[in-house]
Amino acid sequence: MKLSVTSLGAALALLAVAACGSSGGGSSSASTLVVGMFNPFSGPDAAFGPEMNGGCVPAIRLINADGGVLGHHMSCVQEDTRGDPADAVPAAEKMMATETSLVGVLGPSSDEALATVPLLNTGHVPMFVDTGQAAFDHTTAAYFWRITPADDVKGYAMALWAHKAGYTRGAAVFGNDAGAQSDVPTLVRAFTKLGGTIVYNKPLALDQSSYRSEVESILATHPQVIFTEVDPQTGATFLSELQQLHGLLPVIGTEVSLQAPWLKAVNTAIGASSMATYFEGMQPYAPPSGPAWQTYNEALLASGSQVPKPSQWSSDPYSMTYYDGVNVMALAMLAAKSTSPAVFNKDVMKVTEPGPGKTVVTSYAAGKAALAAGKQIQYVGAGGPIVFNHWHNSTGAFEAARYVNGKNVVLVGSVSAAQIAALSR
Amino acid sequence: MNTLVPAIGFGIVTASILAVAGVGFTLQFGVTNILNLAYGDIMTAAAFVAYLVTSAGLSVWLALVAGAAFGSAFSVLLNRCIYAPFVRRGTRLFGMIIVTIAVSLIVQNGLLATFGANFFSLQMPRPSSVHIAGMVFTTVQLAIIGIAVAAMLLIHLLLRYTKLGKAMRATATDPELARNCGIATDRVIDIAWAISGALCGLAGVILVLNVTAFTDVTGSEFLIPIVAVAVLGGIGQPYGAMLGALVIGITSEVAAAVFNPEYKDVVAFVILVIVLLARPQGILSEVATRKEVAA
Repeated sequence: MKLSVTSLGAALALLAVAACGSSGGGSSSASTLVVGMFNPFSGPDAAFGPEMNGGCVPAIRLINADGGVLGHHMSCVQEDTRGDPADAVPAAEKMMATETSLVGVLGPSSDEALATVPLLNTGHVPMFVDTGQAAFDHTTAAYFWRITPADDVKGYAMALWAHKAGYTRGAAVFGNDAGAQSDVPTLVRAFTKLGGTIVYNKPLALDQSSYRSEVESILATHPQVIFTEVDPQTGATFLSELQQLHGLLPVIGTEVSLQAPWLKAVNTAIGASSMATYFEGMQPYAPPSGPAWQTYNEALLASGSQVPKPSQWSSDPYSMTYYDGVNVMALAMLAAKSTSPAVFNKDVMKVTEPGPGKTVVTSYAAGKAALAAGKQIQYVGAGGPIVFNHWHNSTGAFEAARYVNGKNVVLVGSVSAAQIAALSR
Repeated sequence: MNTLVPAIGFGIVTASILAVAGVGFTLQFGVTNILNLAYGDIMTAAAFVAYLVTSAGLSVWLALVAGAAFGSAFSVLLNRCIYAPFVRRGTRLFGMIIVTIAVSLIVQNGLLATFGANFFSLQMPRPSSVHIAGMVFTTVQLAIIGIAVAAMLLIHLLLRYTKLGKAMRATATDPELARNCGIATDRVIDIAWAISGALCGLAGVILVLNVTAFTDVTGSEFLIPIVAVAVLGGIGQPYGAMLGALVIGITSEVAAAVFNPEYKDVVAFVILVIVLLARPQGILSEVATRKEVAA
């Protein structure tokens, strides 16, 4: 009897080891692998979450339709950070403790990245972040991957676009928050290098009841163009006072100003026709064309039951990069033959970096087939090629977009990654 | 110098909004002895009422009246249903502050749940610019200044030349003595909530007229300058709040024009600290010290 109890104990121990092994190795368990959408779904930045959902759901849809990853299906799970580190830290801890099949996250955003990236990195959770904070330009966090360009890269793009338009005198009107201020040093350096002069550069205190004195000070320096990144309420107050007091000037904003809350606030304040005439925004360039985008868009439009009004994300560069992030994770798992994040994380580079003899794939299905055939792959996503540097940052091109009819954003030009690289040297 | 004169003009606009809000806030405290930190959120709620009125195609003037009426009614109900029962049970000043913070959170989250996390603007014709003595104003800003002057004049007439005003001043100075002199202090307090609530609602609407776009937290973000105005003038002193509004409004705009916009609030609050070091009771306060002792 004693022997059988010992045998039973040994058998249970073996089963436990086998269970642990299967969740890490991905060989026998058919549990659903979870991708956490770790972003604000409520609070002031509640618009971020649905944008992420618009990228995650179509990727999962295609992966599952192709038989999943190493026998596992995948799912996107909403992890609401509320856009606040105080809520995001416990949310991350809860997620890591309760989601036993978590293979990675999309996010965190700038709202909570500084507080949660170290936590997720220690927990060996691969994260395809959407924060642009310059603090991560030289991060050593092994599980950190940034497909979207860092905030400070926007400074180069804005300067190049203004230079292309022939402007030589610019005013830097950025909010006094860390995110906006990180654009400024690169903007000043780049614009000066291109022969321009930043005639006004003072941080703007956010959400004040008026900016009339600031408007007067700016206009006294005679700028030809205003570079800006401020929150919607500040943007509405500042630009409406500029318009009321002296008339608008050309304005070059960032991707913040190409999002729905900014449009709603500022459009009412200055009018749709002024928005169309004076305003342009720079955002990461992800052209809505090409085979990878077509695959993404078809899957997105077919995801109406899980993605409300899916077409709104068709040309959204952030949704595209979230889609790409999920595909990269899934392909890395295939390349590593493991669903364990600690194992497949190092294969993220392997499936994205270019190289001689590599097969370029533009979808998960094509990547899976190529890997099964023993080929090495370079995944080129809906958002374009992904080339991570030593610090796991990938910087692409930027596009200049403009509003038409007070609601739609249209592409008016672009700045290439090569131009940015040349200017940043 | 080129920017100084316009900055003073802009300061007058900011001071006008602060004066309406600050006088309401300080009147409320002076008469009722409740430091209502939900004041900013009631301003926002009134702004949403104005938003609904203009969205229905009605005039912005009607929206101003609706906002003030809402602020008045809401404040009276707030006092009767929530604050007064706590006061009757002997909740002291600090406890009441916690209650007002709770109300602030309830109102703020109620607005968020009702209207969503979005930006809103009052529907109205685009204003034109007017140049006066080297200063530039829009027609909306001139209207805001006019509204503030009218409101301050009415408050002055009410406090100085009516029986009700005298009763309010008496209740503010010593409620027990006022009651013993035959003043119906409960009724006076109700009227004080109604008047200060109307000023609160009016301030909420003129604030969002000025900032163009607002959210569920716009009013609460404006609470710190309002409190500063009240403290600078001498808490409980309507005339002090008017003076405090001018000081804070003009110095913050001049600081933005002459120094760095980032120091806008810093300069205003440095002046507040310096004034309070010289006159801890505020510029015009006679009763604040007595109230502190009583509390």
